[in-house]
Parts: sequence; C-alpha cells; structure tokens
Amino acid sequence: MLLEVKNLVKEFGGVVANADISFNLSEGEMVGLIGPNGAGKTTLFNCIAGYYKPTSGKVLFNGKEITGWPAHQTARAGIGRTFQIMKVTAGMTVLENVMVGAFCRADDRHLAKVEAAAILGFMGLDSLKTYHLNELPVASQKKVGLAMALATQPELLMLDEVASGLNPKETEEMVDLLKKIHRKKKITLFLIEHVMEVVMPISQRVIVLDGGEKIAEGLPKDIVKNERVIRAYLGDKYAKGI
Amino acid sequence: MWQVIKDIFSFRDYHRFERIGLLIFIVIILIFPLIVEQAYSRIVMIKFLLFALFGIGWNLIGGYGGQVDLGQAKNVGFGAYATALMMVWWNTPFWITVPIGMIIAAFESFGVAYPMFRLKGHYFAIATLCVALVWKELFIFWDWTGGARGVEIPVKATADFVHMQFPSNIYYHYFVFFLFITQLLFMNWFRKSKLGYQLQAVRDNEEAAASLGINVTWTKVKTYTITGGLGGVGGSFLAVYYLYIDPDLVMPLDLSILIAMTVLVGGAGSMWGPIIGAAILIPLDMYLGAWLALIGGRYGIDFMVYSLIIMIIAAREPKGIWGIIERVKGRG
Repeated sequence: MLLEVKNLVKEFGGVVANADISFNLSEGEMVGLIGPNGAGKTTLFNCIAGYYKPTSGKVLFNGKEITGWPAHQTARAGIGRTFQIMKVTAGMTVLENVMVGAFCRADDRHLAKVEAAAILGFMGLDSLKTYHLNELPVASQKKVGLAMALATQPELLMLDEVASGLNPKETEEMVDLLKKIHRKKKITLFLIEHVMEVVMPISQRVIVLDGGEKIAEGLPKDIVKNERVIRAYLGDKYAKGI
Repeated sequence: MWQVIKDIFSFRDYHRFERIGLLIFIVIILIFPLIVEQAYSRIVMIKFLLFALFGIGWNLIGGYGGQVDLGQAKNVGFGAYATALMMVWWNTPFWITVPIGMIIAAFESFGVAYPMFRLKGHYFAIATLCVALVWKELFIFWDWTGGARGVEIPVKATADFVHMQFPSNIYYHYFVFFLFITQLLFMNWFRKSKLGYQLQAVRDNEEAAASLGINVTWTKVKTYTITGGLGGVGGSFLAVYYLYIDPDLVMPLDLSILIAMTVLVGGAGSMWGPIIGAAILIPLDMYLGAWLALIGGRYGIDFMVYSLIIMIIAAREPKGIWGIIERVKGRG
C-alpha cells in the first residue's frame, strides 16, 4: 500500500469535517475523490499532506506513519500536492518556481535548473519559462502548479480541482496531461474534482464524501449509479427515480 | 567552489541596462571624492553608502523574505559595540572585531528568531521593534557598555589601517564603499542560492512553499540570522567613523525604521532598491533639513516632506521606485 488512511477524524471546534474516513491507495493507481461542496474533500487532503493535524486516526505512507507531520516533511517523504486556488504572485518566473520544487531533492542550482527545464519540457510549457505567473491565463497557471509539484519528484500526487475554471478544450488537454504523467512518470494520482469529464475517464476508482463521511467507493461506472451518491448530489427526489 | 565564485561575481542574469547602470554607479562612487571637495557633500555620500549597505543586509529578510523587520538597529548596535569595546579593552584590530560583531549579532538574531516567527505580518514587525528597544535600554542600563555615556575609542595619531582611523573623509569614503561592495556581492550570491530561491517562494506563498518541501519557519530563521550578521558590519563602521558611540546614536528606533524605509521606498527584493532608496532619503534628509533650518529655523518641516514621500510611495507603489522603473521600461 502506498497510502493508508485509517479512521481519520478532523473536527473544527464542534464541526466534524472528516468523520471516520478509511481508505487505501495502491502504487500506480489513479483515484478520484468527489463529493458536493463542503463534503470535506480539501480537509482530507490537508490532513494527509500535513496542513491540518487530524483529531484522531492514522495516515500511513509507504507503511510509515506520517500522521500530523508538517507539510514540508510530507512533501519530502514523497507526497506532492497542488492547490485549488493558486495565489498568483509576480515574484518569480515560471522556471524559477519550478526550480524551487526541484530544490526539494537537489542542492545545486544548476541541477535544479536542468530538472526544472526537463519537467517544463515534459509538460509542454517550454515557451512559458520566462513569464511571471501573474502574466499567464488560468489554464497555464494550473499547469505550472502541477509542474512545481512534479519537480519535487513525488510518489503520490494529490490534485485539488486541477480542472476548475478551465474551458472544455483546456479540460481535455489537462486530462491528457494527467494521463501522460501517470503513464510516463509512474506517479500515483489522487484527485479532487468537480468536473465529471475529468474524474470519470481517468479514475480507476472513485471515493465519494458527503457531509464529512465516506459514503461510497468503487469503480466509476458503479458510482454513477449508486443511490447514496445521487442523493448527495441531486437530492432525494432524483434518487427515487432510479 | 568555482561555481560559488562565479555566482558571486556574475551579474549576467540582470538586464543589460541594469549592468551598465551598476557600472556607471560604481565609477561615479569611485571618482566622487576626487571631484567633489566640499566636506558636507562627502559626508552625505558616506552616509548614503552606509545606508545602502544597511539596506542590502535588510533586503534579505525584508525584501527577498517579505518580512518587515523594524529592529535592524539592534544588529547595528551589536556590531558597533563589539568594535568599540574591543578596541577600548584590548586595542583589537578592526578587521578582527568585524567578524566577532557579526557573530554576536547573528547569534542574538538566531536566538530571538524562533519565537518571533511564530508571529506574522504586523505582529512580527511589532515584535522586532520591541526586541530592538529592549536591547537599547539594556545597553543604556548596563555599566560595562558605558551606559548612556557611551564608549569613546582612543584616537590614533596617524592614519591607521589596522584600527581604521583616518585623517580625511576620503579614506572613509572608500572604506565604506568597500564594505558596500562586499555585501552587494554577497547578496548577488545569496539570491541565486538554494536558500535565496526558497525564501522567495516563502514570501510569495507560504502554503505552496511548504508543499514543495520547504520548512517555512527554518527558512525565515536562517535568513533573519544572516541579516543580523550583515547589520553588524555597518555598525562596526559607524564605531570607527564616529569614534564615539552610545545607544541613542547606533541603536535608536529611527535607525531601524530608516533602514526599512530605505529599502521599501527604493523597491524591496531587488538589487537597486536599497541603492535608490538611500540615494533619495539620505540627501533629502541631510540637505532639506539643513536648508529649512537655515532659512528661518523651520525645524521639522523636512520630516513632514520626508514622511509624505514615504506615505505616497507606500500607498501608490508597493514595489517602490524600482517597481515604477521596471514598469516603465517593460520587462525585456
């Protein structure tokens, strides 16, 4: 098992954002995490990646317990992540931003530069090297965010709504890119996604959260027919119609 | 090793226009005392170089790190006192007191950094300000530092390159310029180092930086420590330049704020920020103040003008004057 989450609970004051969630990810899988707004998807990501400390429960990565590790340590352990909303700054160029990712494994600037350039090449972003993030359209910003995370050479890559704000054509490109990353880099992908056009064709397995609880897990074709899932997304009225 | 040396001296990634600008700037500074004989202008020039030097050090944490530190005067004080006291006690050569002053300043900065970086933004700024004020009061209170009376360094009869005492300003001009260049070169290396890159990532977005394996607090602590050490160098210079120091002279609140303002007005996080900031604020301070006092004792008006400029820049142009220049020339 690459990632094991056992009985994870996260409470904020009295609000339960994640209630007793357990699941596993195997090496090389592509797994989708879906659920309506406020279902606790991003909270779950943050608990795994070390942005929040879980109230209780365990997170194991490669068999090693990493529960409550700070974010920079989970990153060094091999968990990469992207953010739903990237704060865009004019500070550094695209190449420099990706280099910062590469510095996670490399100490030498030239080595970091070579690696960053290789990743930008792999992602087809060569032409954007010298731009600053705030000069780029959303689709490119998202790809750069992905490139930064890839530069840390993760074993597990967690993507938080990587297709939000993209038009259909850009979404299609993103799906192809994710498939390419999975195929060529052999990285396990775990993605939160609202856009079904992204989740369904990519995911080998889908986990559904609602109200902080895991309500379903299974193959995409089964999930779309699952009554609890339909109820969570569309309400009781539609669920009965099946 | 060869790579480090190359990084220190290479300005190749700067725009051509900036490299030429730097060269012209250096030439002007080099020939300045040969052309200008007026003592006051030379003093203004020395003060400008000193604040550009302070600014470069502060620019690491304040500019590249984006952490507004309002306590750099304490590090200036550590440097100044290390030099002055060691010269009084043991007649120590200047060039030995400098690294010791730097180490003391860096050590203290490291010690206070962890608790301070639990705070963010304005709260961090207030904490730095308070720490600096506490140190100043301690230096006034203690006897071994000379208290409020300060420390006087014994004057040598002749020009002395060991204790860096000279009969003419012209020596001090080249002396402070040498210190300025060394810190400029250090900064040039720093911004290309792993720490430099990580620091800028932290400044831009702490959460994203952490996701790239960067220990945010540790990065800030390291930089704050280095900034402290760099601040000590200017302090050591002040000690041998004035030959007399007291806490009000080398570690006042004004000094901390002026150092920060120099960089913020000039443009934080760029090579030119401290230079431009010092080139505007220092002559303004020294000429405008003197002129207004001369034409009828209008003390204080210079502070109003001064503050107004700072307010306008802070409100209208967060990236400082260098930000305006960059926008006008467009990115090449």
